[in-house]
Amino acid sequence: MAGSPSRTRRFVLLLVLLCGFGVVLFRLVSLQVLQAAELTVKADRQHQKTVSLEGARGTIVDRHGKVLAMNMDVPSVFGVPTALDSPAQTARTLSPVLRVRASELEKKLRQDRSFVWLARKLDPEQGHRLEQMPMEGIGTVLEGRRFYPKGPLLAHVLGFAGMDGAGLEGLERRYESHLHGEKRVAVLQRDALGRIVFPKDEAAQSPASGHSLTLTIDEVIQYVAEKELEEAMNKTRAKAGTVIVLDPQTGALLALAISPRFDPNSVAALTPGRWRNRALTDAYEPGSTMKAIVAAAALEEKVMKPGTMVFGENGRMTIANTVIHDHEKLGWVTFAQVIQKSSNIGAAKTGMALGDQRLYRYLQAFGFGQRTEIDLPGEAGGLLRDPKDWGRRSLASISMGQEIGVTPMQMVSAISVLANGGILMKPYVVSEVRDAQGQLLKQIDPQVKRRVISAETARTVTSILEGVVTDGTGAKAAIPGFRVAGKTGTAQKIDPRTGTYSATQFVGSFVGFVPADNPRLAMIVVIDEPQGESFGGLVAAPVFRRVGEQVLNYLGVSSNEPVKLAMATGRR
Amino acid sequence: MKKLLAVLIGVCLVFVFVWERVDMVRLGYHIERLKHEKILLERERDELRVKVATLSAPDRIAKVAADKFGMTLPQPGQVVMVQSGPAEWSGASRQASEVRLAKADVPGGRR
Repeated sequence: MAGSPSRTRRFVLLLVLLCGFGVVLFRLVSLQVLQAAELTVKADRQHQKTVSLEGARGTIVDRHGKVLAMNMDVPSVFGVPTALDSPAQTARTLSPVLRVRASELEKKLRQDRSFVWLARKLDPEQGHRLEQMPMEGIGTVLEGRRFYPKGPLLAHVLGFAGMDGAGLEGLERRYESHLHGEKRVAVLQRDALGRIVFPKDEAAQSPASGHSLTLTIDEVIQYVAEKELEEAMNKTRAKAGTVIVLDPQTGALLALAISPRFDPNSVAALTPGRWRNRALTDAYEPGSTMKAIVAAAALEEKVMKPGTMVFGENGRMTIANTVIHDHEKLGWVTFAQVIQKSSNIGAAKTGMALGDQRLYRYLQAFGFGQRTEIDLPGEAGGLLRDPKDWGRRSLASISMGQEIGVTPMQMVSAISVLANGGILMKPYVVSEVRDAQGQLLKQIDPQVKRRVISAETARTVTSILEGVVTDGTGAKAAIPGFRVAGKTGTAQKIDPRTGTYSATQFVGSFVGFVPADNPRLAMIVVIDEPQGESFGGLVAAPVFRRVGEQVLNYLGVSSNEPVKLAMATGRR
Repeated sequence: MKKLLAVLIGVCLVFVFVWERVDMVRLGYHIERLKHEKILLERERDELRVKVATLSAPDRIAKVAADKFGMTLPQPGQVVMVQSGPAEWSGASRQASEVRLAKADVPGGRR
């Protein structure tokens, strides 16, 4: 008997259901077992978002906590060309905000790509304007940007950081390991709309910011130095200039001004020569400023006394078939007058009295021919040849500041030896390193390198150098009410075309300290290739005076000539 | 009765589990909103810090002082250091401290 139709229908229905379940089961096994690994990866890719997190770069502040460099998150703008209906219209709208030509933006937006940068690290003001005009196919991400709020102030010391946030020059480069923020990769969970739900792991917590640096620099002293240097540059139309102010007792750098200046906020269009720290990298022949050092060596070795009589050869002396001139024809003068009148012949005779080995030993002891080891990059060691390589005139030449190359930083360190009683200090610019919470990680204290001369010799040389300002070539460095000690220098530059001393290119300089009886500031002023007057006493000494008097006022340093007031009685 | 109770407990456990998951997601969104708010506030703080640092730059202050208030740098001799009173006035041997005075403020000084 054939089955009833209802049984057949039930059987067919069962078969269909079984087949259906079979298909579902097969698909289930296929998805969950056979393709499990591949699909898990795909799902993770859709639900998880891996982001690279970086802590903010540390700030740099002056010795009073004034901000000199800091980081801020600013928007960078990208486009999704495939999502744009009208690239031309979008480019026209964005152009004034991004300050990029519309044609340039349109070119980028017409590319056959799904992502293109339109502008990186905008100004905060640009970011705010952009936020008020949301556009389809245009997005922003936040990136850390380095700001130097004081513009060109201290630019050659601070240096700058690149687009990727890494330090490229100056302190930014030297202290990169401290300044950069912690880098971390984190995995975030996101929903179907792409919104972040919650972090998958602990790594998504904010990464630590970089360490902050406290400098020995004083923003106000730096400003005064830069302002006065710029004024001198305008007046002398010089090629370049340098002013360094040190605390001679500690070696702490108070100011380092270099001209021409640059703004570290916009370095893209500049050449490396513009941001070179000439105070450390450029060695020059110091000329007569070297006589202060030679005098210290001669007094320490007792080959000269301040009152020792030296014959000035009436301004002309032949050494090794070459003639040395003095600008003033001197007869018999004291050793102190040799320095005060900046006699080349007297200096040459002093050097010869010392002898090459002793002179070389003292020049080394004062730090010439070697780096000062200041915590800034790119420092040169200058040029000090071994005596065995000296010519017949070298002893005389070096004694008057020729045949030797020094950096301004070396020279101001050396003059600090005379100021502080005979000790060579290591110059430094960073005094503290702190973490993001302000906890002190590292304190840099003044560091003694060595004793070079006795305190008594330092006092004697100081007294002679005071005479340079009161009765000698450095009269324009005199600061009313203060005792100033210093030495002028005017050095001919080597003409690179002829290899001989140029008759038109000079370096005028003044190096000294004030107050001479209790020095608070050691300073060097170097004016490179001034036009017209080129004597150090005329182009550099006035800068010393103007910077010195303003800074002494600012520091509240007492004058040597105090004004005594009658006691106020209350009656008028 | 026991079976019904077991089923009820099972259902409750499922609800608790589901509620916990949903609440976690809700909290996740909340945390993200707060994080975003924090970022905006930090940006605002940093912007203000940059603005303060820019406005307090010495060259700007000097320019404002000169252009807006007509101030000039004191000429040599106009700022003097004086011995402050007690040690000298009383004749005692106390150490004198220093005060800074502009000459214009000195009683009887040149004006």
